[in-house]
Amino acid sequence: MKKLFLLLAALALIPGYCLAAGLEYFQVYTPKDGMSADEIMQIEYFVKYTRFAHDVKMLGKSYFVDKAGGVREKATSRTRITLGRKSDDIAYKDLVIFTTPQVRGMGTLTWTYMNPAKQPDSWLWIPSLKKIRKISASNSDDSFLGSDFTVEDILTRKFEDETYVLKGSENFKGYTCEFNKKTYFAGVPCFVIEARPKKSPWYYSKRMLWVDKSTGGGIYEEKYDVTGRIYQTIFKNFEIFNVNNKAYPTQTLLEVKDLRTGHRTVITNDNIKYDQGLKEDLFSERSLMQSRW
Amino acid sequence: MKKLVLIVALLLCFSPAFAGDRFTLSGYLKNELSLRAESLNSDLTKFKNIIQLAGEYKIKDDELVFFTKMRYWYDAAFDWRDKYDQGQDAAGHVQRTDWLRDCYLDYNRDSWFLRLGKQQVAWGQADGVAVLDRVNPFDLTEYWLQDFEDLRIPLWMANINYAPKLNSNLQFLVIPDFEQSTSAPLYAPFTTYSYIRYEDWRKAQAGVDQQIYFPAQKFENSTFAFQWSDRIGDLNYTFNYLNGFYYSARNFTILKTGTGGPNSTWQVTRTFKRYEIYGSSFNKSVTNPGPLQGFTFRGDFGYYRDEPIYYGDPLIASSSGIKRWDNIMWILGADKTIFTKLSLSGQFGQYILQHSKPNGPTARRNFIFNPYTYGSADPVENIFTFKASTNFMNDRLRAEVLWSGTDDPQGRLSPKVSYELKDNLLLTLGLHYFYGSLMDSNGQYRDQSQIYSSVKYSF
Repeated sequence: MKKLFLLLAALALIPGYCLAAGLEYFQVYTPKDGMSADEIMQIEYFVKYTRFAHDVKMLGKSYFVDKAGGVREKATSRTRITLGRKSDDIAYKDLVIFTTPQVRGMGTLTWTYMNPAKQPDSWLWIPSLKKIRKISASNSDDSFLGSDFTVEDILTRKFEDETYVLKGSENFKGYTCEFNKKTYFAGVPCFVIEARPKKSPWYYSKRMLWVDKSTGGGIYEEKYDVTGRIYQTIFKNFEIFNVNNKAYPTQTLLEVKDLRTGHRTVITNDNIKYDQGLKEDLFSERSLMQSRW
Repeated sequence: MKKLVLIVALLLCFSPAFAGDRFTLSGYLKNELSLRAESLNSDLTKFKNIIQLAGEYKIKDDELVFFTKMRYWYDAAFDWRDKYDQGQDAAGHVQRTDWLRDCYLDYNRDSWFLRLGKQQVAWGQADGVAVLDRVNPFDLTEYWLQDFEDLRIPLWMANINYAPKLNSNLQFLVIPDFEQSTSAPLYAPFTTYSYIRYEDWRKAQAGVDQQIYFPAQKFENSTFAFQWSDRIGDLNYTFNYLNGFYYSARNFTILKTGTGGPNSTWQVTRTFKRYEIYGSSFNKSVTNPGPLQGFTFRGDFGYYRDEPIYYGDPLIASSSGIKRWDNIMWILGADKTIFTKLSLSGQFGQYILQHSKPNGPTARRNFIFNPYTYGSADPVENIFTFKASTNFMNDRLRAEVLWSGTDDPQGRLSPKVSYELKDNLLLTLGLHYFYGSLMDSNGQYRDQSQIYSSVKYSF
């Protein structure tokens, strides 16, 4: 009886161990009541980086809106392949090609590694040179492509970069998007998590996150500066895509507002296609080299 | 025949049958204006208006694609400024022959990628220094100030690529087309000093019969080249080889009558000779934690076999002769983003001309001439570039400063700012400041330092 109890206890520990060691790629996870802040955030990162899908293609548009209401727009075609490959440590590869006339053809290829301490490898196709340039990694606190997002907001922040405290559960108050005036997620049950960066000093002192209990998506966050004042809000709309009988939570709209400058950035993702069987050789220098623009 | 094929292809592109998301049309209108920095009130050196149109048609998704790009420009400064009158014909020649920038068919399937047609191919990792980037000739009408896309003169070629394994590529180029590299015509802002002195000399003679002989249009006169690219660990590398005609002609000058002084008659024959490039390049980003994390290192190495090099005294417009030497050029570069948004990039390299001092008449000084600018070069020319760039206002305002030169000292300092007024409208303001002696590549333009602006509308 004792042995059976020990065996059951050991089995009960396995999910927790798996979470601590990192979630298996190509699975769909959802957070549950009773999970720790770390477990919830591992799922949040898993969802953010679409580690459930083998590949994804989408068309993105970024709108840069200044305080006076002036709008600049940039359009991209984005492709990602998820690998989670231990032999060369590659987590996923991203290819982003600009389709806006001013920068048409400019493309970035990024390989992101599973080792949290390792920076991504990046290549840039520069149309004015007709050439590929290996580029040094941007600083995590740099602006992401001129938006109000930082590079780590979109690309490089990892679970290991912060410490987490579960502050409780609540029904989300709802967010009215300034871009399309729609209100999202009103009354949706969420975990509220406080995330503090391990780097100190850093450009923010903490983030407060609202994680949707049904999907694990981080739908809203508030960023605080070193004096403890809120200076930025980020909203992410998630929609569920059913692919091969799996429910993939997918970011379809992001809105970030800088409360200090009044500037905001909106990113919309359309025409999203998962698991098309993309080949890895699409994510190579040779692929960038084929750019015609 | 070429033109007929082009016209048919272009008509097809613009036909209504090709409408839909398989066809993409893009382009820009641009005005470039520059003023000599020493006399802003009057000395307009460029008022160039450019229109570019590019069309892409996906015949079969991404597997079979036709692409073409055309450009026409007109520099009104040659009309408005009396002193450039004599350069009008030559400048006009550039705009007449340079209109077709790209025209090719892409075939992409599995491990194969073929690009057949008029195009440019860029090799190497160096910025602004042509170590391996020598597949296409260069248009140096505006010295090295244009973007490299505009500097390269496209050629008709077969560009055949095969990837035997992931992240590798074997590229084979067959280039039956030939164009010579062009420099600025006489009486233009960037006419080389040696060309001006040559013209002075020519006018002083009773007669100079000039002949230029281009390579005959035969398959064996094609340029052949290959590049192997691969990755070992975090290191990307290439091996390169090129065998083709050097894009600058060699002059042979023969005294026909007279004593060699003024009022003699001469025969100047210009021909092109083959040479070879053996090269390699690499790049590596340090991604693992440590003091070098965030650095990207890159480099090019080129060994030029039989590269034609002039030598003589540029100050008295004397070319003592030409040698076909085995030369070496290498560049190492490092890039890093520091603080927030400040991107730094530095390069150092050497152009090593094999013979330390050419043999020539002792009555004159003998200098080696840079093969592109005909400025004097040291037997071992130390080259450096440094670039810093950043952006403000959500990437709307960008600032950059580029400093390049050699240890002589001579070089160029080029700060610029650009501002995105609207999505499609980009304004740029900048300065090119040249310094050095009159004999040097950059120093010969020390009176041509300029303030410039451009307005670019993209669609």
